[in-house]
Amino acid sequence: MKGAPKNEELEQLLAAEFGVTEFPSDAPPLVDRARHLELAARLKALGYRLYVTVVATHYLPQAASKAGPEQPEHFEVATALRKPTQGGTLAAWRCKLAVGEGIPSLVGLFAGADWQEREQFDLVGVRFDDHPDLRRLMMPDDWEGHPLRKDYAIDTACTPWR
Amino acid sequence: MEDDRAFTHPLYDFMARMPGLDVATTSVDKLLTWGASNALWIFPMATSCCGIEFMAAAASRVDLDRMGTIVRGTPRQSDVMVVAGTITVKMAPRVKKLWDQMPEPKWCLAMGSCAISGDFYRDIYSVVPGIDTFLPVDVYVPGCPPNPEELMHGLLRLQEKIRAFRAGKPRGAAERPPTPEHMRRPSLPRLDDPTRPDELSLLQTQSAGSLGHGTEMNLIELRRSKAGEALAAKLAALRAPAAPAEPAEKKE
Amino acid sequence: MELSVDPPPEKPAKKPAAKAGPAWLIPGAVAPIERADPYLDIEDYDPEADLMVLNLGPQHPSTHGVFRVKLYLDGEIIVKAVPFAGYLHRGVEKLCEKLAFTQITPIVDKNDYVSPMMNEQAINLAFEALLGAEVPRRARYLRTLVAELQRIGSHLLWLGTFALDLGGALGGGSTVFLHCFRERELILDLFEALTGCRFHYNTHTVGGNRHDIPEGWASLVKQALAVIESRLPEYEELMTDNSIFVKRTRGVGVVDGELCLELGITGPMARAAGVDYDMRRDAPYHAYDEVEVRVQTETAGDCQARTLVRIREISESIRIVRALIDGVPEGPICGHKPIKIVLQERSAGGQAYAALESPRGELGTWVIGGGVNKGTSPYRLKIRPPSLHAAACLPYVLPGHSVSDAIVILGSVDPIMGEVDR
Ligand code: SF4
Repeated sequence: MKGAPKNEELEQLLAAEFGVTEFPSDAPPLVDRARHLELAARLKALGYRLYVTVVATHYLPQAASKAGPEQPEHFEVATALRKPTQGGTLAAWRCKLAVGEGIPSLVGLFAGADWQEREQFDLVGVRFDDHPDLRRLMMPDDWEGHPLRKDYAIDTACTPWR
Repeated sequence: MEDDRAFTHPLYDFMARMPGLDVATTSVDKLLTWGASNALWIFPMATSCCGIEFMAAAASRVDLDRMGTIVRGTPRQSDVMVVAGTITVKMAPRVKKLWDQMPEPKWCLAMGSCAISGDFYRDIYSVVPGIDTFLPVDVYVPGCPPNPEELMHGLLRLQEKIRAFRAGKPRGAAERPPTPEHMRRPSLPRLDDPTRPDELSLLQTQSAGSLGHGTEMNLIELRRSKAGEALAAKLAALRAPAAPAEPAEKKE
Repeated sequence: MELSVDPPPEKPAKKPAAKAGPAWLIPGAVAPIERADPYLDIEDYDPEADLMVLNLGPQHPSTHGVFRVKLYLDGEIIVKAVPFAGYLHRGVEKLCEKLAFTQITPIVDKNDYVSPMMNEQAINLAFEALLGAEVPRRARYLRTLVAELQRIGSHLLWLGTFALDLGGALGGGSTVFLHCFRERELILDLFEALTGCRFHYNTHTVGGNRHDIPEGWASLVKQALAVIESRLPEYEELMTDNSIFVKRTRGVGVVDGELCLELGITGPMARAAGVDYDMRRDAPYHAYDEVEVRVQTETAGDCQARTLVRIREISESIRIVRALIDGVPEGPICGHKPIKIVLQERSAGGQAYAALESPRGELGTWVIGGGVNKGTSPYRLKIRPPSLHAAACLPYVLPGHSVSDAIVILGSVDPIMGEVDR
């Protein structure tokens, strides 16, 4: 993860309890999506009380190339929390989702996740399980498609108005 | 612009019908036109950044009020709607509804590139490519955002226009420099575009009129209706001829 | 030289942690409020009650843009509030996926349109972290200066519009509104002298700034600041000593520190509730590690506390600018190779998150590199808007207040819709 200093505390926690072995220098570590909620709860108990953000990203299927092995269509959901104290340490991790899979919602732990998750659901189309009120946030309720997916045309028409 | 945009008012007709007063109509007319053009009450449709510049224009340094304008928060008491900011597809039905609620005579001033053409959001799925696809705009004030002084200039031109129209001397389209064809083509035909299908206005009015508490747009029914599908096909056909010109531009 | 975006290693805390209460709250901070249930099923509410639905916005003078809140009223008391956003969704993130890194700055200017400088800085901090670009010291000073000036301008605008919300356009509120805009114009003049634009500046770029300080700018800044400072007591008098103002704001819309953090609220709103956290001091970026930042906090967490914090932040910003303006180091303002072609910056991939303290709280950018055109665009860009989190507190706070209080709370939260919806 660039832009934020290395978070030793998080890495130790992930290595010891969550079985994470890889800590890439330019991206947050990958965590199993089944343990997403557990990790967030652990971190909240450790003092990461400020909810920062959630970022869902859509990846199109990719054939094997120099850049990497073959990849099916998938989503990545990155979450970040922060300690609201001296240093403002940031803890961030990613979860990988196949098409159709959902990720546990953090609303029970952090009320601020509500709108952020609704936004990601709306724009990227990632499902957040157990979200109490998963509606679209940005687009009208009857909009079709998820604009931030990579296969969504940027100039999609919407008949009487554009 | 069309010449029949000359505005009228019940008062004018009343005056013209009054026995004895018709001799004085011209001077009364002048007086009324002077009043109408110098007491423009503004309904700010301020959605985004241009709205802040609009506020700055209404505030101390530039002080729009000295031109007889008063900013009103309700459409029912206003003469001019100043559309300042980006209009999205979610907001557009509401803007149209507010415009329909304004009493005649009314004028519309598009402030900023977003209101004029959609600015660089023009091609985005959620932005209306210029409010003149659903509102009749009288004055365009370009800029991103226009300075308060420019807005003031726009209002002065609007006053000029009001007087000219009332006097029956509208400035025709011929005096404007021609706009290149590809720039005149947003994804929807404008109101003054001869190729604009009639159903478009109808559907827009329906969409605006059907707003309620629970509903955002009611677009699905509209789009899936026969009229909606026919319209979508027509619009697609209209857009088609412009398509080959676009890739050539993008190469630059 | 270290990257400007990297906060320096942890320093020992200046203050020992407060004895009472959790470490992230100052002593005496407001106790947790009784939270309303935002997901209340309105069918379950007292069936005898005569409920009324009031639709506030999206076109309402007090919603500061196009925000819509659906209020369920029992008499005049709000039972449930359902906010709706998205009336200004302009697809900025989708648009940025098509543009080169250096082309994005003028686009994000328009997000938080009350403090455009902050948007530019936030996005460029993230790009610099992603691309590994260094920012020269002069540029970091310059960024700090414009950031603080922008904070003054932004808070002044907030103060003016908040007074409008309280007093009405034709009531007493417009006095403060007119006064605040008069002072804000001074700040805009300074920016115009620096960048040539009043409003959307496009002055930051990856690795530095584009406009150097013009000759004599420092004295202009000092003059303007002197004027603003001399008038600040006037606002304090007009707002905080005014009994009507106190009546309408004290104890109204209390948000406690715990709820703030859970909701992700930072900035003046959290500081008014006793959260002693400011990224300028705690995770310094730009040149904030070379200047002392006195974080302004209050304990009450209500609308009055928010006003006080913001007014004090204006004088604090004035102090910071004064401390820096004479010591701006010489040197280049753009340490990077000069930008000749827009497609110059490339990234192979990787993710970066960088944030700064905007006038509304933590404004962050999450960027994933390696987009179209061989990595000259971001693959995905996500802006973390502070206003979105601030606005999300409404369903927790509004119930129990009357409609007229709702307007005050909405104003004191200061949501900028361009930023919420993007
Ligand atoms: S024209 Fe520019 S300043 Fe005006 S609303 Fe659009 S983006 Fe904002």
